[in-house]
Amino acid sequence: MHTLFLSCLKATELIEKKFHFRLTFREKLQLKLHKMMCDACSMYEKQSAIIEKGMESQHKHQHEECDIEELKKQISSNLAESQN
Amino acid sequence: MSKSKASSLNEWVEFYTADLYSWAHYKVSDAELAKDLVQDTFLAATEKYEGFKADSSPKTWLISILNHKIIDYYRKKVRQPVAKEIESFSRFFEAGGDWLETQKPQNWQIDEKEEHLLDDNNFQQVLKECLDALPEKWSTCVKLKYLGEKNGEQICQELDITPSNFWQIVHRSKMQLRDCVETNWFNN
Repeated sequence: MHTLFLSCLKATELIEKKFHFRLTFREKLQLKLHKMMCDACSMYEKQSAIIEKGMESQHKHQHEECDIEELKKQISSNLAESQN
Repeated sequence: MSKSKASSLNEWVEFYTADLYSWAHYKVSDAELAKDLVQDTFLAATEKYEGFKADSSPKTWLISILNHKIIDYYRKKVRQPVAKEIESFSRFFEAGGDWLETQKPQNWQIDEKEEHLLDDNNFQQVLKECLDALPEKWSTCVKLKYLGEKNGEQICQELDITPSNFWQIVHRSKMQLRDCVETNWFNN
């Protein structure tokens, strides 16, 4: 690529990449330039970050009930069966 | 089965089921699946019992079997092929890569209210439904970061996919999630 200008498709890709990996210097610069000119992608970045946080808190707040005694019985009977 | 093997396995089921279950549930965030994984772990433990060294802790040994089961589960998910047309970005972008006019992110108007939003159970419910609506392969990639507090490189290694493959799946999933949340929460 000979230009510093990104398409919105590519810019949003870099936004997602940034959540998981380090961007190269060039990528950082490209993204910054793009966001200066593009409200839609700037908005996308904020909203994507909210969704990331939402997923994080979702995971923390999840407490599904499980009857451990029932599970133990089930496993014991499975084990006994597997030996026959 | 020799008496000692049978009795130590029964003892382990009694002692460690709860811990194994909460670990599995933490890693896969699905109660039924977590139960299955714990059952599989004990079945595998029966088969591999002779390989267990009496001087190591049974719990550590069982957890390591369980971890293998969890990784196997995720690898299988990610290898499932996804139809080409779903992978495409043409639902969101023009051929040149600009946003389709109808797909541009709208202003959610939540600048000071972000904290409240994340504490809102109804919002969390919408987000959950949107996550559940993703193809499994995608939601695995999206969720994995929060399941083991891992970074991108480690996740790719576990799933045996390349980094670019990984973030493209995440990118495509996020497009759909964002759109789903906007439609079902902000425009509702």
